[in-house]
Amino acid sequence: MTKQAAENHAHPSPTAFLRRLLGGLLLLGLLISIVARGEGNLTAQFQTFVTIFMGIFVEAVPFLLAGSVVSGLIAVFVNQESLARFVPRQPILAALVGSLLGFTFPVCECGVVPVTRRLYQKGLPLPVGIAFLLAAPVVNPVVLLSTYAAFGWGPVLIGRFVFTILIAFGVGLLFTLAQPDEVLRPGAVVPLADQHGHDHAPLPVRERLWQALTVGGDDFFDMARYLIVGSMLAATMQTVVPQNTLLALGSGPLLSVLLLMVLAFVLSVCSTVDAFLALSFVSSFTPGSIIGFLVFGPMVDIKSSLMFLGVFKRRIVLYLILLPLALSLVAAVLVNVYF
Amino acid sequence: MIDKWLVNWNVVEKGVKTAVLLLLGMFLYTRVTSGVVSYYINERFFTLTLVAGVGFGVLGVSYFRQWLGRQESDAAHDHHHEHHDHDHDLSWVGVLIVMLPLLLGWLVPPRPLGATAVSNREINFGTDPIKSVAAPGGNEVMGIIAGERNILDWLGEFQRSGDPVALAGQRADVIGFVYRDARFGADEFMVARFTVSCCVADAAPVGLIVRWPDGAALPTDQWVEVQGRFEVGVFNGRSMPILVAETITKTEQPPQPYLHL
Repeated sequence: MTKQAAENHAHPSPTAFLRRLLGGLLLLGLLISIVARGEGNLTAQFQTFVTIFMGIFVEAVPFLLAGSVVSGLIAVFVNQESLARFVPRQPILAALVGSLLGFTFPVCECGVVPVTRRLYQKGLPLPVGIAFLLAAPVVNPVVLLSTYAAFGWGPVLIGRFVFTILIAFGVGLLFTLAQPDEVLRPGAVVPLADQHGHDHAPLPVRERLWQALTVGGDDFFDMARYLIVGSMLAATMQTVVPQNTLLALGSGPLLSVLLLMVLAFVLSVCSTVDAFLALSFVSSFTPGSIIGFLVFGPMVDIKSSLMFLGVFKRRIVLYLILLPLALSLVAAVLVNVYF
Repeated sequence: MIDKWLVNWNVVEKGVKTAVLLLLGMFLYTRVTSGVVSYYINERFFTLTLVAGVGFGVLGVSYFRQWLGRQESDAAHDHHHEHHDHDHDLSWVGVLIVMLPLLLGWLVPPRPLGATAVSNREINFGTDPIKSVAAPGGNEVMGIIAGERNILDWLGEFQRSGDPVALAGQRADVIGFVYRDARFGADEFMVARFTVSCCVADAAPVGLIVRWPDGAALPTDQWVEVQGRFEVGVFNGRSMPILVAETITKTEQPPQPYLHL
């Protein structure tokens, strides 16, 4: 009885949990069915919303799954000491390593978040993780190839990579000044000591692989809700905000950059293909704005900034949106003015 | 026995997670096998979706193993419940959110993007670049016989020459859905498709302007096959190739509704 009371203190009672979950499912299901089966404009808009949401989700979820499994593998197989040995402590070097880490650790903007969180748990220095988080969605072989396929070898490709690395490096360096407990969300990153505290004997590799999968699954549950809410927001924007009038506003060295950066944030297109999308803006937008779109979008968009909330404190998430925003804006406007 | 399970938070948590993971795996897997996935993403990512479906299945099994193990170990050492305190505060709202894609995917009849989505996007009539110079296959259009060119091929052709006269007199046979807005006259509509390079988030509408006396009789979103000849005409104050229809046949929506760049 006392044990049960203690558990009830930590969690809601399991029966209440199940009752609420089932009730919620029924209610939501009913609501969705009613709207989906109606006639007229609202239903048409809802249809469009659902299709776009499913598109973003189906496209992104394999990457989040992969990121979560990698995170689980790190949790079980990477030990803290070896990580500390390989990662430099010296701030400038650390931020540089972080911004280039994507080349050896190819993850896109959905997979990068659980991996970063896990690496922090293993004692990764703050600047390395921040630089990795911001740069990895662009600085990796896949995105290099897709950008090359869309734009060829030229100013757009070079600008995209150089500015991404510089901005990630700069923001990472800034976080040298901060302490982990000021930055990370309490509870998101718990040192692993207690988890392995009662390891009696090292488990066989097969058992540890299963364990890695379960840990990865926990990570998936932590992160998926942010991805889903983010995808829903992005899909709502895509359904409601008229892109054509938005784009019609865009001219001039500053306004065009701002517009495409806002668009990148709102669209939340995966970084592996955003180059092809940017291609369709080339004729009507300034070169700087294209670079702004390709640099800022992968670092921060609706779904990734929501996922940041699972790792960082709210204030820090705001910095992680505003700093790249300001820096890519400056970079893109400079391109417009000087080239 | 059931009562004992229900009061144990860990058993409930593991059970719910197992169920959700297995359902997600099944969901992704059936999206691909039923073909619905082509409404959502570009076909080169289908395998990835399939792999993810299987991956969720494996993850579900890993939880199921723990779930089985949990009940044995519960009896063995009840004294310290060592659920590693990760702040995995699995709330019912959290589970509900993760299950939202399942609800929306299974309860809403799946449909590809249509005219509603065209209306708030920039339509490409062939005046903006649609294919990259560097992209492989950029010149393939020349090799395609005119009768087999789709909307995108024709637009690429128009764009390459930059002159509507280049297409004049050529015969075309294309499939798309009907779209119209205030810019279109009573005898005009657009036979439209979406291009998708990754997922529908990057969908961009492309289309050919069709002239057909009974154009107004065709409902928006109706899939049609248009056969006709190009003429130079004026649309929205611009000189454009206009497809003057000879026959229009209502068709079923093709299994692959989007065109890929």
